[in-house]
Amino acid sequence: MKGKTKNPLTKRISRELIGDWRKYLVVSLFLILTIGFVSGMYVANESMLSALNGGAEKYKLEDGHFEIDEKANPELLDAIASGEKANVKGYYLKTAKRKLDAAFSDAHDEKAYDEAWSRILAEIDEKYADAEEKYELNDTEFRPVPVRLYENFYRDEEEDHNNDGVTDGSVRVYVKTDDVNLACLMDGRFPENDGEIAIDRMHADNVGLKVGDTVTVGKKEWKVVGLIAYVNYSTLHEKSTDMMFDALKFNVAMTTKEGFDSLKKPIHYVYAWQYKNSTKDENEEKKLADDFLKALLTQTVIAENELADYIPAYANPAVNFALDDMGGDMAMDGVLLDILIVIIAFIFSVTISNTIAKESRTIGTLRASGYTRGELIRHYLAMPVIVTLISEALGNLLGYTVFKNVVVSMYYNSYSLPAYETVWNASAFVKTTLTPLILMFIVNFFIIARKMRHTPLAFLRQDLKKGGRKKAIRLPKWKFFTRFRMRIIFQNVPNYLILFFGVLFVQVLLAMAVGMPNTLDYYKENASDMMFADYQYILKSCEDTDGNIIATSNDSAERFAMTSLVRKSDAISEEVSVYGIEDGSSYVSISGLSSLQENEVYISGSFRDKYGVSIGDTILLDEKYESKQYEFRVAGFYERSLNIAVFMPIGQFRSVFGLGSDEFSGYLSDSEITDIEDSNIATVITEREITKMCDQLDHSMGAYMRYFQILCILLSAVMIYLLTKIIIEKNENAISMAKILGYENSEIARLYLLSTTIIFAVCDVVGVFLGTLVMSAAWKAIMFSYSGWFTFKIAPTGYVKMFLFVLIGYLIVLLFDFRRIKRIPLNEALKNAE
Amino acid sequence: MSELDKSFLEIVDLTKSFGSGDTKQEVLRGVSFSVAKGEFCVLLGPSGSGKSTLLNIIGGIDSADSGYISINGDKLKELGEKRLTQYRRRHLGYVFQQYNLISNLNVRENIEVGAYLSDASLNTDELLHTLGLYEHRHKLPNQLSGGQQQRVSIGRAIVKNPDILLCDEPTGALDYTTSKEILKMIEEINRKYKNTVIMVTHNEAIKNMADHVIKLRDGRVRLNERNTHRISADEIEW
Repeated sequence: MKGKTKNPLTKRISRELIGDWRKYLVVSLFLILTIGFVSGMYVANESMLSALNGGAEKYKLEDGHFEIDEKANPELLDAIASGEKANVKGYYLKTAKRKLDAAFSDAHDEKAYDEAWSRILAEIDEKYADAEEKYELNDTEFRPVPVRLYENFYRDEEEDHNNDGVTDGSVRVYVKTDDVNLACLMDGRFPENDGEIAIDRMHADNVGLKVGDTVTVGKKEWKVVGLIAYVNYSTLHEKSTDMMFDALKFNVAMTTKEGFDSLKKPIHYVYAWQYKNSTKDENEEKKLADDFLKALLTQTVIAENELADYIPAYANPAVNFALDDMGGDMAMDGVLLDILIVIIAFIFSVTISNTIAKESRTIGTLRASGYTRGELIRHYLAMPVIVTLISEALGNLLGYTVFKNVVVSMYYNSYSLPAYETVWNASAFVKTTLTPLILMFIVNFFIIARKMRHTPLAFLRQDLKKGGRKKAIRLPKWKFFTRFRMRIIFQNVPNYLILFFGVLFVQVLLAMAVGMPNTLDYYKENASDMMFADYQYILKSCEDTDGNIIATSNDSAERFAMTSLVRKSDAISEEVSVYGIEDGSSYVSISGLSSLQENEVYISGSFRDKYGVSIGDTILLDEKYESKQYEFRVAGFYERSLNIAVFMPIGQFRSVFGLGSDEFSGYLSDSEITDIEDSNIATVITEREITKMCDQLDHSMGAYMRYFQILCILLSAVMIYLLTKIIIEKNENAISMAKILGYENSEIARLYLLSTTIIFAVCDVVGVFLGTLVMSAAWKAIMFSYSGWFTFKIAPTGYVKMFLFVLIGYLIVLLFDFRRIKRIPLNEALKNAE
Repeated sequence: MSELDKSFLEIVDLTKSFGSGDTKQEVLRGVSFSVAKGEFCVLLGPSGSGKSTLLNIIGGIDSADSGYISINGDKLKELGEKRLTQYRRRHLGYVFQQYNLISNLNVRENIEVGAYLSDASLNTDELLHTLGLYEHRHKLPNQLSGGQQQRVSIGRAIVKNPDILLCDEPTGALDYTTSKEILKMIEEINRKYKNTVIMVTHNEAIKNMADHVIKLRDGRVRLNERNTHRISADEIEW
């Protein structure tokens, strides 16, 4: 007699690993690469997020900024910094009194003066009531928000990065400062002399500029002395309403004060603020920003200045886009990893189910000898758990070393990020180690435990079908081969189900990999068709500084009015361009436009598609900074606009928005207008508004989408390899017997491989269809979190590509499968079951 | 031998049927007998006589419709699934016509599969010598002959030193010479380790080496006798 023997079944695991090394190598490689990439993604993300969050304090990130038309005097700055609301009524009274006094300076008719003053008081009451509503002056929850203000002036200049005399894009030039929104120096040094410039590191990478090069900015050549990353431009969003940043044609730069003064374009009087009592709480921050805006509006009104732009940091995409996108990447990759693990877990479970069926008698013997169900479940569960653990260890090793750098370079290729330090984090461990292990465990435990529910006798009799032996399904009198194939299909329904879901998953990924470039190409190619005018010149005012109407001799120019409102929702406040169009417009040709009722409008097709608006629906739009809401009834749709836009006759526009009878916002034109001074133009909207986003996405994602397509082919090949291997292994005896009977390899292949091929082809076609549907829905959901609208487009060749890519994966596997069938020995069927 | 030892295994009025209605087939129809501790008992009978079903019920892997089996006074039908497993683990060893070995474990390890189940298992090396498998201990099942594989399966069953060794047609798949080897092996084990052996066979000749012979036909006991002149496995012929 001797002591307790160690469980010899554990020895099987290493032998099984070695014996079927190809299968486990394929699974492991797959898991290692996936886990490695996700682990790298998490580590890189956490490191980058830590650099960005840490950078906010280190580089004195603003809490927000606003732009006003005129430079603020010290009194206005003090008033704004106090965070207190101005006395608007007092201002109205003071102004009216001054005007009245001026009017009566020569006359001394006290009665007439008193009468005029009474009329003015009544008018002021009415005007104040209007202002009270507009600026929410009677908001009882308003609290003054004291802030520190910093000048953060800039000029938007033209950039010619290769000095060939052709403008390549625009560059926003700031003066070097130590007060707010500092830049992290990535290479070289900061500018110290006139003629020296430091430019955004990512833009420099994109256009091939480096330290020591020369760049033309504002018609003047500058020496690039440094590459920088501004803390408030982690993505190069030109405007806060831009759907996508543009690191190809937009740049930010830093010069000395002298350098800045030597530039010619108008200065944007931007003031950055930081709260004296800042908060980390999101709701609190929003309340601070709202109260500060109310105070700011009143202060600018009484200073007779105009608020041109206002954006708190939390709503500024140039500050938050990278943070949100990286967070989104982590979430998305996490979900993809989970789905992949579940698919691998199901493949594992089918493999194990097959092994259990094969070892049924042995299991019966073990159970009859006293092995408990739990012992056998643990035994069969060990393999997927061990393979997952090994893959996780290696995957994480790769993730922390190789993939982290891949992801970091991906981010540096898209965003203007500061220097980072690697931060090890627990969430990566949970996501790439614990979660896959738990998923693998749960799926396999559930399926193995179900299999092990059979009695020892059932195992001994190899009677593992639920509810006893099923009767064979009667088939019509088809040809023998057809019936045989049908039997194979019925026998492998679980495998084919997993194959279907696997193919569907790959097709969803492929829909993205193929559909995204297709969508971008579509919008790039059709950009001109989606613009109702090649140029939209938005003027600062329809009058110049001398009070003359700004006119142009350009024959194609047509006046229009435009303003921006917002469509408020829980997700985002979507900016909506509201156009007032002249009757018989040659640009926006809407037949029924002139006959619209008072509050009726046309909306763009993008508006309709994004928000599911129908004719007759009412849309509610709000003023951006004021508490005023407009209600419009939708009378029809206008398709030639990619914008989220509303169209109405210019007369109606003037009446709705209180414009004078001759007032307008700018000119629509199909040719460039050259006779309006730059200083009078607020902005010009061209085809680039559409193409810049497509170009940027193509630049950031295009190459990855091609890699992604290859990854999808490999993914489908791996999955199909594992599943067809099971089907062939399950039928080894039958195949061997067929060989004994005289069937040739090609005939056997026709029997076994063709059935799988038929099912695969069906899965592939259905997968293309469903994958596109799923991706379209996902795309729509993604688009809802952004301003603007792009419909997901797949070209007809895209569908073919999707089908073929997965088919390529299958054809690769088919070669292996044919080899596998050829190698099954004749005596397999004659061998003992063991 | 005490009275308790004489009725170590008691089978009382056992019935078992499969199917229902017109297809109902009664396999055991009131089978009763007892087996003494350490006895070599042979269950004889033609195909369909119910002998394998009876063995499975004794082994706790099948259940009777009525009647009961008691071992050492414990009635099996009163045991739940967990306790039945423990019962098999502690008291039973199983040998089947199919050897049911684990293909990627070698001879020694296949025997250790049985040893693992007991806190007081037999010495594996000694057993390997007894089974004549010591020199084959590193081989995998597919490197062994049928007889050698059956010896491994006997080793696996016996290594935990069970009270009862249940053998279901252990020579059914073997040739004459190998069958005799296996029978000798079981006889030797019975003698050496004093286990109660219950062997199902349709081979009439084997009854001569048994202490106790039960003949079944149509689910009933047709013969229940003890051999007064038991001969060794070497001497039996068929």
